[in-house]
Amino acid sequence: MSGASVELWVNGDRVRARVSGGEFLAEFLREGLGLVGTKVGCGVGVCGLCTVWMDGRLVSSCLVPAVVAAGRQVWTVEGLVALAEGRVADPPPGLPPGRLVRVVQRAFVECEGLQCGICTPGQLWAACALLQEEPDPPEERLGEFLAGNLCRCTGYQGILRAVRAASREGRLAGG
Amino acid sequence: MGPVGRADGWTKVQGRAVYAADVRLPGMLYGAVVRSPHPHARILRVRSEAARAVPGVWAILTGADVRYGTYGRRVRDMPVLAREVVRFAGERVAAVAAESLPAARQAAALVEVDYEPLPAVLNPQEALQPGAPRVHEVAWQYPGAVVGPDDPSNLQSRGVWQHGEDVEEALARCAYVFDETYEIPPAHQGYLEPHACVAWAKPEGVVEVWASNKSPHRLRAQLAACLGVPAERIRVMPVYVGGDFGGKGSPMDVPVAVALSVATGRPLKLVVEYEEDLTAANPRHGSTVRIRLGVDGEGRMRALDVRAWVNGGAYAAFKPVEHVNLNGFAEAGNTYRIPAVRIESLIAYTHTVPRGHMRSPGSLEANFAVESTVDVAARALGLDPLEFRLRNVLRAGDRGTLGEPWVEMRGEEVLRALAGALEEGEGAAGTRREEEAGWARGVGVALYCRAAHAGETEVALQPRPDGSVVAWVPFPDQGGGQHTVVRNVVCKELGLLPAAVEVQQVDTDELAADSGVGGSRVTLTASAAASRACQQLRRRLEEEGLRGLGVQEAVAELARRRPAERVRGRLSVEEELWLNSVCAQAARVRVDRETGQVRVEELVTVLDVAEILHPPSHRAQVEGGVVMGLGSALLEEVVVEGGRVVSSNLHEYRLPSVADVPTLRLILVPGGKGWGPYGVKPVGEMTNVAVAAAVANAVADAVGIRVRRLPISAEEVYRLLRAQEARP
Repeated sequence: MSGASVELWVNGDRVRARVSGGEFLAEFLREGLGLVGTKVGCGVGVCGLCTVWMDGRLVSSCLVPAVVAAGRQVWTVEGLVALAEGRVADPPPGLPPGRLVRVVQRAFVECEGLQCGICTPGQLWAACALLQEEPDPPEERLGEFLAGNLCRCTGYQGILRAVRAASREGRLAGG
Repeated sequence: MGPVGRADGWTKVQGRAVYAADVRLPGMLYGAVVRSPHPHARILRVRSEAARAVPGVWAILTGADVRYGTYGRRVRDMPVLAREVVRFAGERVAAVAAESLPAARQAAALVEVDYEPLPAVLNPQEALQPGAPRVHEVAWQYPGAVVGPDDPSNLQSRGVWQHGEDVEEALARCAYVFDETYEIPPAHQGYLEPHACVAWAKPEGVVEVWASNKSPHRLRAQLAACLGVPAERIRVMPVYVGGDFGGKGSPMDVPVAVALSVATGRPLKLVVEYEEDLTAANPRHGSTVRIRLGVDGEGRMRALDVRAWVNGGAYAAFKPVEHVNLNGFAEAGNTYRIPAVRIESLIAYTHTVPRGHMRSPGSLEANFAVESTVDVAARALGLDPLEFRLRNVLRAGDRGTLGEPWVEMRGEEVLRALAGALEEGEGAAGTRREEEAGWARGVGVALYCRAAHAGETEVALQPRPDGSVVAWVPFPDQGGGQHTVVRNVVCKELGLLPAAVEVQQVDTDELAADSGVGGSRVTLTASAAASRACQQLRRRLEEEGLRGLGVQEAVAELARRRPAERVRGRLSVEEELWLNSVCAQAARVRVDRETGQVRVEELVTVLDVAEILHPPSHRAQVEGGVVMGLGSALLEEVVVEGGRVVSSNLHEYRLPSVADVPTLRLILVPGGKGWGPYGVKPVGEMTNVAVAAAVANAVADAVGIRVRRLPISAEEVYRLLRAQEARP
């Protein structure tokens, strides 16, 4: 199988690898790099399980050919957790601040924003990106922004409660 | 400190929860499956030379290479790989092991299979006709089969439930008989994690398995039967399960993964693509349900006859219950006083995807048909549908419709609470029946009652020197919150803080038995077993003379004295509990007369509850159920055309997104009698059932049409509205 040599940055680390033309970023992250926190559901960009951050925006990593990620900054849930835990010395601009990630994580735990957990990494990214963009989102904005991340367990109520709680707490803490 | 969250919450928000597809072992290979494009065909030849030439391919197996037996949860009729014939489009014909997933998939695509297409039978009515093409030569000979040589050759099972007077005679005496037929299509459980497994046939003869399966001990037994080895040679390892809803209880692709691991001597991962899961796993049965409801001149139900023709697909392997039928059909009419009831459910083999359980199997089918018919009857008699239900609902102290000696029956209380909630809501909204720009409003209600069961399990507690306790459990948390239930019980019984109790799923070698997650049993069973384990631990603390100490000190001291100490609480409940729970639901809808579009504005759920062991998880089960019910009502159908599933992925099989969810109102009616040391009722399969009937009844209320087929699509409503206009 022919392959291309790519260099990219994943969670701040430089990664060099050979990837095949048919290989997608989600699979490369999971099987190539062992970053299995990113999940794969539908594989066609509908469910949002494989959401990652790439050069400042959220993408479905199941739809991004691995070669397209060459030269880019990619952040997965492992990196998001590292941000929350203050383990990232010099995060690139545009990533959610660690404090916000912590608030969102805690809100998901406390408000039952998850059940089986398979959609949770993607939901965390979506929630962080929303609150980063809009610390006090109006209700209809929640529905719009989060509609790309499916959840079969919660009926979305716990997720909405978590995002609202994180919004409140984030604003309180942010002053 | 905020409220205490789920036991598995932090693991999951840290991206550290390991699911089957996340397992990576040294030297691991990847599997891919070749599937039949034909509903029914003879396999003439499999050519794999081109596939073998793909670099990195280790093995290619066909049915002829696999020596294992057939498998199944009860009826063992499914081959690991098809032999000689294929019986549904999507059946496994060959399997590949390769060093990478792309190589495995490339090789699978290069396997060429020659088929001779054979006549197929696609629906149960035809399948049960004499002379229909046979799906299996001799179905009754499969281990676990519940049919005999005299039954129609394509019968999977016949479920008959009856009680009281002769139904035909009772119907003949009724002033009114409502004869209605409803259709409920197949649906996918919609778990977002596609089926995944890793199998490692180790050189010493032990097979280790990581699988997206909710019943590890049952999986072990099913695999042992299929592979023909003692259960001790199989070890099912702990992993989280990414959603289940009834669909993750079978071996599915594990046997073929084991075969590939044996053939290559390497561990092997097999993760199906979502498209394969949608088209070739175990979706909900499709059913046609005929209801004949007899009502007397006083508006009292006197007789109920239910006939269901159910599409079982090509294999019965995915039904776990002894009668290989769907328990939900036995619930038909079970909330009402009806002196004559007969229910028959015929499940037939067809050349379509094999069917399995989906959250409250059979219940949605029976409930949609009965609760729609009840509404038809009420409207025909000029009675308010809620009033008609109240007139007929079982009263406290009544035996059940099939003679069940229920511990309690709270249907009346629950219905009255719903009536109260609707009156309140009406005052607030104040716009009922107010027509605006072609949209008509309506309200519909439906009622549901489900029996509860317990199973068997074992929970072990190990004290740690830091004064905390580890609770070992044999079942995964597929999202239901059972690990949190165990944590809360241990906290309550021992007086520990949540942070001092860790719940860990362990592999099948560590604990003795477990019936797994399913049938809404796990909260009942696990809370009772955890409570027993705690009693044992308290007894041990007493024996060691440690009761005088604070609990953490005592636990720590016991751990120091006896590092290997582990106490166990085991439980096996076989008897009927005669416990039930009741749920009443209402939908407020708007219907666009012009386009047929239905918008659900509010869903009200009233649920009978007892003690609640973790209120946030209980609430999540209720809410998640309601939204799943909404999906069944409005969106979801696995479309089968010419025997092939054509709903290829989640863009075509639409699950509700957050944008589809209306206002949800929940009213819990506390004070119910539960079971076990805490007096709990199950909740997992309650609130997804009656939503469809409530929405259909609301549509009838709004525009006067009766939707008799799910999902309630704009196309169907449009068709019915135009037909209504055309009527003189």
